Formats: sequence, structure tokens, C-alpha cells
Amino acid sequence: MKIAAVGNERSYRGRVEGMDDIEIAFLSASEISREIGNGGVDFGVTGEDLVREGLADADARVEFCARLGFGHADVVVAVPEIWLDVDTMADLGDVASDFRARHGRRLAIATKYWRLTQQFFSAQHGIQLYRIVESLGATEGAPASGSADIIVDITSTGSTLKANHLKILSDGIILKSQACLVRARKPEHEGDLRVAEIIARVRGALA
Amino acid sequence: MFRKHDPMPLINLPTFATDMLADFEKLGTLRVDTPVIQPAEPFLDMAGEDLRRRIFMTESETGKSLCLRPEFTIPVCLRHIETATGTPRRYAYLGEVFRQRREGANEFYQAGIEDLGETDVAGADARAVSDAIAILRNRLPGVSLSVTLGDQAVFEAVVAACGLPIGWQKRLIHAFGNIAQIDALLTRLATPQPVTGLTADIEVLLASGDDDTLIAHLDETMELTGYSTNASRSPKEIAARLKEKRALARTALDGRTLDLLREFLSLSVPLADAPKVLFRFAETSGLKLDGALSRFDARVAALGNAGVDLSPLTYRAAFGRPLDYYTGLVFEVTVAGETAVLAGGGRFDRLMTLLGATTHIPAVGFALWLDRIEKPLQGRPPDDHHHRAALQGTDEGRCLRDFRTRRHEDRRRRQ
Repeated sequence: MKIAAVGNERSYRGRVEGMDDIEIAFLSASEISREIGNGGVDFGVTGEDLVREGLADADARVEFCARLGFGHADVVVAVPEIWLDVDTMADLGDVASDFRARHGRRLAIATKYWRLTQQFFSAQHGIQLYRIVESLGATEGAPASGSADIIVDITSTGSTLKANHLKILSDGIILKSQACLVRARKPEHEGDLRVAEIIARVRGALA
Repeated sequence: MFRKHDPMPLINLPTFATDMLADFEKLGTLRVDTPVIQPAEPFLDMAGEDLRRRIFMTESETGKSLCLRPEFTIPVCLRHIETATGTPRRYAYLGEVFRQRREGANEFYQAGIEDLGETDVAGADARAVSDAIAILRNRLPGVSLSVTLGDQAVFEAVVAACGLPIGWQKRLIHAFGNIAQIDALLTRLATPQPVTGLTADIEVLLASGDDDTLIAHLDETMELTGYSTNASRSPKEIAARLKEKRALARTALDGRTLDLLREFLSLSVPLADAPKVLFRFAETSGLKLDGALSRFDARVAALGNAGVDLSPLTYRAAFGRPLDYYTGLVFEVTVAGETAVLAGGGRFDRLMTLLGATTHIPAVGFALWLDRIEKPLQGRPPDDHHHRAALQGTDEGRCLRDFRTRRHEDRRRRQ
């Protein structure tokens, strides 16, 4: 499937040569997850983290058709290295349940991943008592600067975390993300040969 | 996302609202109302971040987080603190609350009573349960109800009497009411949890028992790595918990204690028999539960004295709410054999100070789900239906008039 730009080279629209009824839009990664969610596009290529963060009930609304092998990054729970007594989510649960009594406020987590954090902390580990501090950039600096106690952030090599004296909890990997071919689950896709072909050919190229 | 043809939900005040308000008045409560728009912080702070997805939030022009009232307890308590009213005081409320629910409408009516500052704990507990039952019986005559009761204080006493280390006690108490979580904890506590990943010099410091040097070392490391030693967890706190964790790692929960805890948590008996069953459990297990059990017994006695028929009441030892401000009694009322909770309540002695009260104010209360109370009524035989239809017009009109007058008065008072 060879992709050509429509109009000039810098255009944000494209097409697939020989498949004229497929229209391609080049969008920012987070916009793609939103468009898949509201059904504005049929397929998207974007990070699994953005899809799962952006959409409630993601698996019911989209299908992850293929993992594309690039854009690897883990969404992780990281705490200051100096917290020698905190190695697992259970440790963190102990700390969180005591936090208010000791510090007069709840444990603060800096993150841009609201949904993933809530699901992981509440549903999987029964930790309820914490507060999210929204952080849209340089999240790993939050604990040292005092604006949060710990972080939930994305990391690929872990070097930024290390540079900020943070460590990943041993069971603190929320999601191993990478770029995916994602399909919006639409009823009209049933039995559509083009839909099946796109999936088959992308999977074929990966094999 | 909204479907195109979502029907507009009916948000009429339930037809029985006036009668319910009259019941509240007869019970000697003070009717209060609170603004629909509330600061979001107290709710998120008390119930945790999970609530964020379930409330309707917005921001003020100055960036303050606001939400539509998701429940009444916190606003009523805050109002009590702000107006510096003396105690004891029993408040009643009836109004709309707003929550994002997967099933059911997003705005619906709740009513309830909050009893603040009553120092006769057994008496206040019994009154909360008996008021909830009486109000439901008035609305649902002839419908058989079932009441489930739990008591966090008894669980806390069992855990303490088992001689568990404080760290474990806290974990278990924190998870009380969440059966899956308690189960996972018990399984984990049965195996030792070694503390690993410490560097050799920290191991030496820990082994030496020289706390001051350990704390000084943590302090120094934090300074060097640019971490403030007072913004978050202090070196002292980290050192103390590290030692506690090391101590816990050496002891695994023994089989007998584990069995006792499981046996206790599986108890589910008619409330009338519960004191006897609990005393027997204490005797056979050898656990010292005297204080908690006599308080439990006093509550059952107070319920009897209040004239409550104990036969629909069941005590379930594992029943609780995993929120840190609940302290003792919890209860729920359903139609017998059904799961929808018509009324839920409990004792929350820690809430008032968490919300900023300067003195300790014991508190117990309950909330009624008016939309769920209406449902059993709708299943009534036609005769009854007629009767209700005839009342409907007048009831509704009167209620609306009440509301408008009150709103008008509120406004005048504020000006």
C-alpha cells in the first residue's frame, strides 16, 4: 500500500495508490485517538496509551488490529528513589492510607494519564485515597519540585526517571504501549471487504 | 456520547416527597438545603479520585473546581461547621443529586438524616436505623424490607486481638468492606514478604539499629538529589516505615489466625442472635473483644428499646465501606430478596474533623434513594394505583409551592 500526499508535499491529506476510496488524514497522535473514539475515522495509527487514556471502555469501542513495533513506551508508576520502603503498589497503598493523617493532605500524583491512573490504582490495587495533580509536561520533575509526591508517566528507556532520582515500582507498569493500527468498531464494518483487506495487509507487512 | 433520540428524563419530585418531609419533621429534625453547585475539593478529598469520573465537574472563572452536588452528607456537614452551630443537631434534607451512572438517570432525588454530635452512640445508631426503616415503611406499607448491618469497630477489635503487627492491622482495616481486597491481603499476609533491593550500606545501618545515622543518611541523600526533606515524606517517616516493613517481613500470618479471620468474616446471622454468636466466637477463639462487643450489644439493645422489629435485620461481619471516615455501624435497607439499596447509612465519626471541625463530633446518618423507592410503588395492584393518582396532583402542587416559597425566602435572606 503506497501512500501519496494529496496536493503539495506538505499537505495533511493523503491517499493510497490504487485504492481510491481510502482517504488519509495526518493528525496529531492524541487527535487520532479522539477521532477513532467518536467514529470520525475508521482506522487510526496511534499509541495504545493515548487510546486507552482517551476512551472509556476502549475495548468495546475500538479494536487493536495490529501492534506496529515502533513508538514503544511504558506507562509507569514512579516514586522517589529515596523512598527505600516503597517497592510495590501494596507499599504505596500503605503510604497513601496514612498520608492524610501524617501530612494533612492526600498523596499527590502528577500525571496526564487520569483514566489509566484511576483504573490501575482503584480497580486493580484498591487504592482510593490520593489526588491527581494534572501535569502536561516535565512530569518527572514534580516530586523534586514539591508539586506532587509521585508520578504516573510514560518512559521508554527510564533514563529521564533516573536523572530525576525516581524509580519504577516492581509491579508499577500500568501499560506497555506501542504504536498500533486501531479500528473504530462500527456496525457497517461487518462484512466490508476493504476493512478486512486493510487489516490483512498491515498484518502481512509486519509478518 | 449522546444518542440522537435519548428521551428527556423525568425529574419530577416524587409524589410522596411532601409526606416524607412531614415524617422528617415529626422525627424532630431540622430541614436544611444546600447549594446545588459545590466546591469539588471536599468530595474528591474524602471519597478519592475515583469519584471524579462520576461527578459533574466544572471550573469557576478563577479556576476553582466546582461540581454539581453528588450527595448531601458532605455539604450538610460543611454547612454545620461553617455556621458554627452547636451540637447535638439532627438535620434532614431532600433534594436533587447529580452523578454519572452507567444505569439509571444522572440526576435523581435523595433524602436523609444526619445526626451530628450525639454522644449516646448506641442510641444514635439505633435511632438512625429505626428512622430509616420507619420512613421506608410509611412509603411502602406492606412491602417486606430486609436490613443488613455491619460494624467496622468489631472488625478492628478482632484484627487487634489477633495480635497482628500495626502495619497489617492498618492494611486490613483500610480494606474492610472490599471482600476481594481483604481476600488478596489475607493470602499475601500468609507468606513472608522479604524486603529486597536495599544497598549494602543501608542494610548495615538497618542491622545496627542506629536510627539517627540512618535518618541522617536519608536526609543527606535527599539534599544531594535536590529533594526537599519537608515537602513530602520526611527521612524520619521513611526510616520508620522501612524498619516496620523489615519487621513485618519476618513474620507470616500463622494458619490459625488466618482461619480465625476468615471464620469471623464469614459470619452472617440474624441481628437478634448476633451478640450471642459474637460472644461465643470470642470465647472459642480466645480473642479479647470485650469493649467492641459490649458496644455492639448495647446497640442491639437500643434497637429493641426503640421498638424495632429485629426479624428483618441481619448482621454480616464482612459488611463495611472502605472509606477512611467510616468508623462503626454501616447498614443498608432493600426490599426483601432484592439488591437495589433503598436506604444506606452508617457512622462516620472521623468525617467532621477531616472536613475542618475543630472539635471531635460523632456523626451517624443515612440517605434514601427516592427513585428506587418509587419503583416498588409502581408495581402495585391497580386499586392502589388509582389511589395514588388521585393524590398525585395535590401532592405535587403542594410540594412545588413549598419549594418556591422556601427558595424565595432563601433569596431574601441572602440579600
